[in-house]
Amino acid sequence: MSEIASKTSINLAQEDQVVGPWKEAWRSFRKNKSALVGTAIVIFFVLLAILGPFIAPQGINDQNLSQRLLPPSSEFWFGTDDLGRDIFSRILHGARISLTVGFFAVVISAAAGSFLGIIAGYYGKWIDTIISRIFDIMLAFPSILLAIAVVSILGPSLRNALIAIAIINIPNFGRLIRSRVLSIKEEEYIHAAKAIGMKNARILWRHILPNSMTPVIVQGTLAIATAIIEAAALGFLGLGAEAPQPEWGKMLADARIFLLNAPWAMIFPGLAIMLTVVGFNLMGDGLRDALDPKMKS
Amino acid sequence: MKKNFWLLGLMLLMLSVFLVACGTDKEGGDNSSTPSTDGQDNTDGDKTEDAKPQILVFGRGGDSVSLDPAIVTDGESYKVTQNLFETLLNFGEEDTTIHPGLATEWDISEDGLTYTFQLQEGVKFHDGTDFNAEAVVKNVNRWKGGTEEDFYYFNSMFKAEGQDIIADVKAEGDYTVVFTLSRQQAPFLKNLAMSPFGIASPTAFEAAGDKFGDNPVGTGPFKFVDWKRNDSITIEKFADYWQEGLPKLDKVIFRSIPDNSARLNDLVAGNIDLADGINPSDGKVIEADSKLQLIERPSMNIGYLGLTSTRKPFDNKLVRQAVNYAIDKQAIVDAFFEGRAQVAKNPMPPSISGYNDDIEGYPYDPEKAKALLAEAGYDGAPIELWAMPVPRPYMPDGAKVAEVIQKNLEDIGMPAKIVTYEWATYLDKAKDGEADAFMLGWTGDNGDADNFIYTLLDEDNIGSNNYSYFKNAETHKLLIQAQSETDENVRIELYKKAQEIIHEEAPWVPLAHSTPLLAAKAEVKGFIPHPTGSDKLTNVSIE
Repeated sequence: MSEIASKTSINLAQEDQVVGPWKEAWRSFRKNKSALVGTAIVIFFVLLAILGPFIAPQGINDQNLSQRLLPPSSEFWFGTDDLGRDIFSRILHGARISLTVGFFAVVISAAAGSFLGIIAGYYGKWIDTIISRIFDIMLAFPSILLAIAVVSILGPSLRNALIAIAIINIPNFGRLIRSRVLSIKEEEYIHAAKAIGMKNARILWRHILPNSMTPVIVQGTLAIATAIIEAAALGFLGLGAEAPQPEWGKMLADARIFLLNAPWAMIFPGLAIMLTVVGFNLMGDGLRDALDPKMKS
Repeated sequence: MKKNFWLLGLMLLMLSVFLVACGTDKEGGDNSSTPSTDGQDNTDGDKTEDAKPQILVFGRGGDSVSLDPAIVTDGESYKVTQNLFETLLNFGEEDTTIHPGLATEWDISEDGLTYTFQLQEGVKFHDGTDFNAEAVVKNVNRWKGGTEEDFYYFNSMFKAEGQDIIADVKAEGDYTVVFTLSRQQAPFLKNLAMSPFGIASPTAFEAAGDKFGDNPVGTGPFKFVDWKRNDSITIEKFADYWQEGLPKLDKVIFRSIPDNSARLNDLVAGNIDLADGINPSDGKVIEADSKLQLIERPSMNIGYLGLTSTRKPFDNKLVRQAVNYAIDKQAIVDAFFEGRAQVAKNPMPPSISGYNDDIEGYPYDPEKAKALLAEAGYDGAPIELWAMPVPRPYMPDGAKVAEVIQKNLEDIGMPAKIVTYEWATYLDKAKDGEADAFMLGWTGDNGDADNFIYTLLDEDNIGSNNYSYFKNAETHKLLIQAQSETDENVRIELYKKAQEIIHEEAPWVPLAHSTPLLAAKAEVKGFIPHPTGSDKLTNVSIE
């Protein structure tokens, strides 16, 4: 124990003199303008998701059939849809749905993927073979097709769409972690830890996991963007959110037959999806540039 | 970061190139099969007129369930079988009056129990079998021999209280058939003219058994070629058709395009020639387009919300009435039918004799509905609200109307979950009484009140067309009496009385009687939409 303790204290001491990796990452991230824009967009939508339902002027299902498909006005900022509902209010509510699905789907798949990836990478042999082949099989399908299959089995609902998206993203995280673990486990400090008799579980938890987290964070941010699109796609196909949930993809699907006479019913949910996705992508790119040592100039 | 934007731009470009490529591909493929409508064609139209291929692509909302007309009940199946098979009697071109079909003449005995038909001579089935009295007898015996499971429609029209109305059918010589009825049936001739009773080739159905629907053989102007499930059905001109010079078309392709707007887009793009199930909201656009024609089908339908009376909470009359009060029918009609429909109050349309106009429809009154629910002791348990997955002539956008109904029900404290299945499954499950509340509708087959009230709401038809499992001894008595009553005025009174009881018992929420819209390219000539929804394409041509 004492050896480790002293090692950490050396590390800490070094950090004061030299710039630490996290601090350096933050510096490079701060210099990256598009990453900051992306982060701002993400924060904006996160705030919307938290506050949206409180600031929305109307309920998500306040129908008024005499006010169908009205163009944007001071009363209805984004116009009304074909059931006379306020699109602005629905988009505010929808932010919570999309972000929740995106976030939790990624958290679940990152957790499951990391777990499987670490096991596969660290123990190798037949465990690795089994897990990796399962990943290969899952990756052989176009992801949205796999998601549709999962939803078809579970039955269409928002929760099942979330589960489906989580499942299809597991192999991405799993393979990422596995390759990372493969290289880390050959590092000298791991050999050292083994040499002093540290248990496998502890090595995994204390050394390997923290050291393989950076790519997961990057991949996770980018995956949220993909997950939001996938949730919207499932909603669009009628396999995700159920009426009257104001899910953006479903709003798009409902509005598409009025594309010519009421384009706003489609444009605003579409913009909402696009902005969120762009936000997460820019932020993710920025994070990757900042965190990936290979990208440093 | 700049690189990323370039990449995004590049990808968008690639995507659009890809999409454009797809678009031209389709158009190219289409030009080879159907004539284009551009200016060039018109300028040298005289020269190319004869060369126009007589191929009609008919875009519609759903696939057929089977092509054996005897075993199905859905309009999408009849739309095709109507052109493959012929019935003993035909309806008028635009109405449901009786005209000769495969039978040229008929004679009814004094007591109304014996019908003698003289058949058309020189008619052949597509497989070369001769059409004669023997073939008719075999068809009728096939229907008679089957159970309700096999031949829903025959059972629903020609059986009452478990008893065959057609007691006997026999051939007298080659071209005379005699039907003996066990009791009088006022709409007997109209019933025989219905699409399900198309005469099939006995050789073919005896050989094919259950599989007859996959390879149907009739005497119609077109014969079956190919069926790609959920995609298209192709039929082509039957060269040995008994009416000289008909049909005018060489080939008809029925394509399933479930989405109303997508179907209209296909028509505008020239991929199809004729489209049914046009959104009422698109009517004006089509009328303004000189390349297209808008076709109105005479209205003979009802769109309704069925309340399965064997399931909780709809086993209680008060709950059913409450739902009738809760739904804002006028708002639905105004919003989704654009004035091309009438709010319904009875289970049959006003154009049919026997319609009871004295009945006051349930007004939109959520307060009254809440009071009724409270009186009924409804516990707020959620219900399943089934919405049809495909646009129907009586309901252009089931899913959207379901959302309105869901909201209406929520307002009176009845939470509803919208459920939908693939169309054939939907019908099957609803038929088995698995739905709490379901949206459905009916287009009349023969223009008789019997075909609405008895077919849809009598206990004899539970398990076939009575999807709401409504059972009432009083209406049953009236409807059976009306069937055998030949005095038209007495019949009308009986049906009016039945409608009063049905109104009170409220097995449905009648929603609307719509005027279904179709659209075609301007050069499609001779298409006459039939009120039953099954159109004969014999006289259609492309000019």
